[in-house]
Amino acid sequence: MNTLMYDTYTIFWRELKRYKKSRSGVLIRLIQPAIWIIVIGNTFSGTQPLIQSVGFQGEYIEFMTPGVIILTAIFTSIFGGVNTLWDRRYGFMNKALTSPISRSAIALGKMSAISLIAAMQASLIIGIALAIGVNFPNPIMIIPIMAIVILFSLGFSGISVMVAATAKSQETFWGVINFLGMPLFMLSPALFPLELLPDWLAIIAKLNPVTYTVLLVRSMMTGVTEGGVPILLSLGILFAFVFVMIGLASYVFTREVNKPF
Amino acid sequence: MLYSIETKSLTKSFGDVVAVNDISFSVKKGEIFGFLGPNGAGKSTTMMIFTTLLKPTSGQALIYGFDVMTNAKQVRQSIGYVQQETTVDEYLTGRENLLLQAKLNHIPKNEINNRIDEVLELIELSDKQHKSVVTYSGGMRKRLDIAGGLLHRPKVLFLDEPTVGLDIQTRRKIWEYIKKIHDEFEMTIFLSTHYMEEADHLCDRIGIIDGGKIQVIDSPENMKNAMGNEVISIMVENSKHHDSFLSELQKIKFVKNINKDGLKLVLFVSNGTEVIPKIFQISSELEIKITSLSLTRPTLDDVFLSYTGHKIRDDDSKFNRRREHAKMKRLRA
Repeated sequence: MNTLMYDTYTIFWRELKRYKKSRSGVLIRLIQPAIWIIVIGNTFSGTQPLIQSVGFQGEYIEFMTPGVIILTAIFTSIFGGVNTLWDRRYGFMNKALTSPISRSAIALGKMSAISLIAAMQASLIIGIALAIGVNFPNPIMIIPIMAIVILFSLGFSGISVMVAATAKSQETFWGVINFLGMPLFMLSPALFPLELLPDWLAIIAKLNPVTYTVLLVRSMMTGVTEGGVPILLSLGILFAFVFVMIGLASYVFTREVNKPF
Repeated sequence: MLYSIETKSLTKSFGDVVAVNDISFSVKKGEIFGFLGPNGAGKSTTMMIFTTLLKPTSGQALIYGFDVMTNAKQVRQSIGYVQQETTVDEYLTGRENLLLQAKLNHIPKNEINNRIDEVLELIELSDKQHKSVVTYSGGMRKRLDIAGGLLHRPKVLFLDEPTVGLDIQTRRKIWEYIKKIHDEFEMTIFLSTHYMEEADHLCDRIGIIDGGKIQVIDSPENMKNAMGNEVISIMVENSKHHDSFLSELQKIKFVKNINKDGLKLVLFVSNGTEVIPKIFQISSELEIKITSLSLTRPTLDDVFLSYTGHKIRDDDSKFNRRREHAKMKRLRA
């Protein structure tokens, strides 16, 4: 167990070191979510009556800011595993595989690094939201919000690491990731209340872990718990999702990297 | 335990292509063993089995007494592996790369810094250790890679074509380091190469592999001596007595073997100076005109030719293309 922690930390350290040194455009990656907040947030401000109809009293931009925080977390973490493909192509993976560290540690180290990076990006989005004047009644809630984002990204990066380990090419990876990312985001209450979805889509959305994460972050940011989902239930679902993803990602990653690339 | 590496009937096939075909051999402790063969001969595949990256289709491979199939973890603790491509992280500094390697191999925390200083000195990169690897030359990267493989003092060090793609001076420098490493740490070194000189220069013993099979294993000296200690190359003009010329030559006492390549004849002999007059005698009896004749020491190239029937760079045969194709498909490069 101790060794697994040490090995996970080794990979985590390496991933962060690479991220830091590659300076891969922290600002560039912020542009897209910033556009979401500024453009969509203002364009859709006229939809306030719709939101009010489900019991949310604030502005639309306050409603969707938690959604954009999660959007950042989703896409940073689901793209984050792509360097697994480079590692396999350029030999780092073989180096790690022929050393005594366990395969799970490689997956977990990557996931924890991705989750921290995603959280850093999300915190910048919170900063942008505050800067453009989004109302944030209780700033101390930033701490639990960040904890939720880290947890959620840890689980979500599992998807990325699994797809990257299974895909043999960049094309497959991006194809699958785009296929997964956008629907998971759209089928959640990130941009509009679940009550506005047709029943059959609402059922799918209720199976989506993104839904509960958005509800959690929104209730922490605005104090409104919509859709009658208790916070504890959302938390429970989030934790369950993360545990399942950690287990599944370790298993799939180990199985896939043992096959010749 | 006498052997660092032992294989029994090791076989690996990819679909219907047999990359490694029933090979059995052993490498002694402390030996530098060279695996010599053309591209696609099965060298890398064998090495990937030894380093637990590939599972053999059948047969057994023991590294330092541990089975690569059932004791993979112990094998990984006993080996260092330097891959054909350089695998250092470009964005990290030289020292950070070694630190990563040290952590991956569970070197005790209090020893890490000393070990890194030690190998940096050995490969003469101490002064550049805090620079990003992006700024390193190809030779420096390779040295760093090799250093990473030694850091945890493995029992067996695997070097997959350590000097491929490097210029001649750098290659000689790397050879120097490999010798130094071997003397200093007394580890077994298993290297694969398709450079004759490299195998000749570094290895205690050489296994020639071609078409997935080991053709011969011996020391470079013995291999060359077994061929006769001298080589006579003759060019003759075409004649109807060519075949009888050949059979007469074979009857000369000191001639061990003859390779025929069109009008060029290569004779492996043990007493060249006495053979040459006899060659002229036979040729004048058969009225065959010799246009040139030379007497040289055999090279490993000659050895390779005599065991495999083709030159080592002769990659264009249909067989090798198919093999290379299978390999590329596997690597998806």
